[in-house]
Amino acid sequence: MSGNAILVVGGGFSGITAALEAAEMGYEVILVEKNPYLGGRVAQLNQYFPKLCPPSCGLEIQFQRIRNNPNVKVLTMAQVTKVSGQAGNFDVTVSIKPRYVNEKCTCCNACTEAAETTVPCEFDFGMGMRKVAYRPNIFAFPQRYAFDKAKCSEAEAKKIEASCKYGAINLADQERTQTFKVGAVVQATGWKPYDVSKLENLGAGKLTNVITNMQMERLCAPNGPTGGLLLRPSDKTAPKRVAFVQCAGSRDENHLNFCSYICCMASLKQVTYVRERVPGAEVTVFYIDLRTPGRYQKFLEKVSADPKLSLVKGKVAELTQEGSGKVLATVENVETGIKNVEEFDLVVLATGMQPSVAGEAVAVNAPRDEEGFFIGSPDSGVIATGCAKVPLDVMRSAQSATGAALKAIQTVAGR
Amino acid sequence: MSSPVRIQPDPSFVRELQAAGGESVKKCYQCATCSVACPLSPAENPYPRKEMVWAQWGLKDKLMNDIDVWLCHNCGTCSDLCPRGAKPADTLAAIRNMTYRKLVGPAKIGEWMSSSKGLPYLAGIPAVLWLFIWLLTTGLSIPAGEIKFSKVFPGDFTIDPLFGAVAVFVAWSFYKGVTNMWKSFASLPTTFEVGAHCEKPTLVQAIIDVLRDDLYTHRQFNECGADNTERSKGHWALLAAFVALAIVTSVVAVSHWGSKVPGFHWLHALGDTPMVLYSPVKLLAIVGTVLGFYGLTMLTRRRLNLDAQKQGSSFYDWYLLGVIWAVFVTGLGSMVLRLAGVAGLAYPMYYLHLVAVFMMIAYLPWSKLGHLVYRTTALVYARMSGRKPLTRVEDKIFEI
Repeated sequence: MSGNAILVVGGGFSGITAALEAAEMGYEVILVEKNPYLGGRVAQLNQYFPKLCPPSCGLEIQFQRIRNNPNVKVLTMAQVTKVSGQAGNFDVTVSIKPRYVNEKCTCCNACTEAAETTVPCEFDFGMGMRKVAYRPNIFAFPQRYAFDKAKCSEAEAKKIEASCKYGAINLADQERTQTFKVGAVVQATGWKPYDVSKLENLGAGKLTNVITNMQMERLCAPNGPTGGLLLRPSDKTAPKRVAFVQCAGSRDENHLNFCSYICCMASLKQVTYVRERVPGAEVTVFYIDLRTPGRYQKFLEKVSADPKLSLVKGKVAELTQEGSGKVLATVENVETGIKNVEEFDLVVLATGMQPSVAGEAVAVNAPRDEEGFFIGSPDSGVIATGCAKVPLDVMRSAQSATGAALKAIQTVAGR
Repeated sequence: MSSPVRIQPDPSFVRELQAAGGESVKKCYQCATCSVACPLSPAENPYPRKEMVWAQWGLKDKLMNDIDVWLCHNCGTCSDLCPRGAKPADTLAAIRNMTYRKLVGPAKIGEWMSSSKGLPYLAGIPAVLWLFIWLLTTGLSIPAGEIKFSKVFPGDFTIDPLFGAVAVFVAWSFYKGVTNMWKSFASLPTTFEVGAHCEKPTLVQAIIDVLRDDLYTHRQFNECGADNTERSKGHWALLAAFVALAIVTSVVAVSHWGSKVPGFHWLHALGDTPMVLYSPVKLLAIVGTVLGFYGLTMLTRRRLNLDAQKQGSSFYDWYLLGVIWAVFVTGLGSMVLRLAGVAGLAYPMYYLHLVAVFMMIAYLPWSKLGHLVYRTTALVYARMSGRKPLTRVEDKIFEI
């Protein structure tokens, strides 16, 4: 590695895009991702804006580009633990967790079948279970299984090892560190859904039929826990009345003191999920202001033409669940001035985007605002991009990442 | 749908309201969290969301005629949940303060009561008045012999006529205020009822209900969402103290003036002052004093511990607490100094007591203590019009 290599932290849509744009200009790139797969939040979606493609659509092209480009070095299950130096001359230490599955894996699924212990599936936000030996997701890149060895017994681990006829399970795998010299760092650590346990008046995550918008994506995704059927968690029935609660944590100085930009569009998109999956279902979106950035106004017009959708101005400020599984939402309709308790089968919280690393120490020394978003400063050689910098949709994340790649190149060019 | 309404914003009213404790009102973005958070707010036209937008536009008439600001008991749950820190609870308190200020004249007293700048006038009037009386009686000197406050401030010729006149002035102002309020409430839309018809109480029944179910139990304080134990207990104790001390004052006045009526001379035995410590009237006064100090301590402690991010205190709040503290401290001080025989301090202390009592009673309709009358009026009206909190649907599981 030379001083004109670029480190990209985070392998979501922004990170992949920044890495590829730089790599295709001939620069060496190290792409570090903490999950066992690339694709980040986009991989978890059912459909994504602007064209409501399934995530495999855009990600598949990106994965092809990575596969075909020798300049990109991808490290999964890896985290940057130390960054020292300055623009043009950083020393980076990356720590890589053991995957216990090597490159011989053919994804034959024998290890998953051999495994017995199950754990809640992170990819499905705990709504489904997975085995300890598992495929991270159906189009995981790299296409390789992973094994949570610490979560099962020695005997089970041995059995899983024995089940693999390709010798791809390596129980001796160890955590290791690698060091690199790079000239610039692109911080693309993305976002996480706001922790609903902090939303006490909205059930604090304890009401079974109150889910987050990201859980809704998983429920509706063909590779999700229900195979794409919209079934509410308590009794696995199709909800006939669904409510969306906007600004669940966003635009709230007690939680996230900013607009998360995309939740209004996400909820409108999810309205179409409900209407496609449950015939005759009635949907209500409770909002403060419906924000439709740019061309998305057209999408609002299209979706709101649906007679089964009501858009109600007024924030839901209290949610409770009855024994029958019905969720009671108390809200004042600002236009009519009537406060009412309404019953729903399923309530979706439009939880906001919080920077993934909010409140955490990070190896990269870059300024952050009080919410945890990175403030980009190209002079320092650390360039923030995507949702690590500001809440964005996928399209604008890609634009932001392309810009970040250019800034990174300007930092390292000629060194 | 709705027909367009031309509204007349009043920016100067907004500025006055902000000065009276509602400085954060412009932060509100009308999400309606507060209307849901409020456990006392009714289903139809709930508060305080609508008051926030009226206040932002300075819709003075709507706010001054609004019964809901009096149904609010200021627990602060709305402010705790407010996503913008717009402090709806403080805004409603500020609207009440504006009502104290504007509901009845003279406007000058309302203006003095609105900020600490008026304090010299408010204190100056009784200070000069009582000093003048002292000058007339003993030439500002401390009388010799047994300490009897009537030597300096004789009841019959100074205290009673003066406070009598003040009482008439206050009662007349309240009469005007309550009549104004009642008329303005009548202009509000009536409650639309669905389902079983419920009998609406008569005026007398409503007054009894309010006294028995609201004032005596302090129901609204306890139903408010936040933990109000400190506030509820403190406020109850202070109200009880006022009731006890009002009874004591009445007994003294009735026995004194009643005994002058031919045939009722025996009445003087009830309330001749100074009383012996074991007289039932004196004991009631002592109980009232203890309750008063307890209530004051609880309420002051709560106000000092308020999270400034969520709830603030205006001049109206501190004036009321301060003046009641002054009344109680100087009252107790007078008694203690009298019993201790320290004449040189007892008489000045009693002078300060009279100043404090005057400051509490004479400006009552323009001070926060006006809520004693105005809130009660609103509660009675609300009972009669059927404006009740939204009842929550209860979870019922039937097992067969």
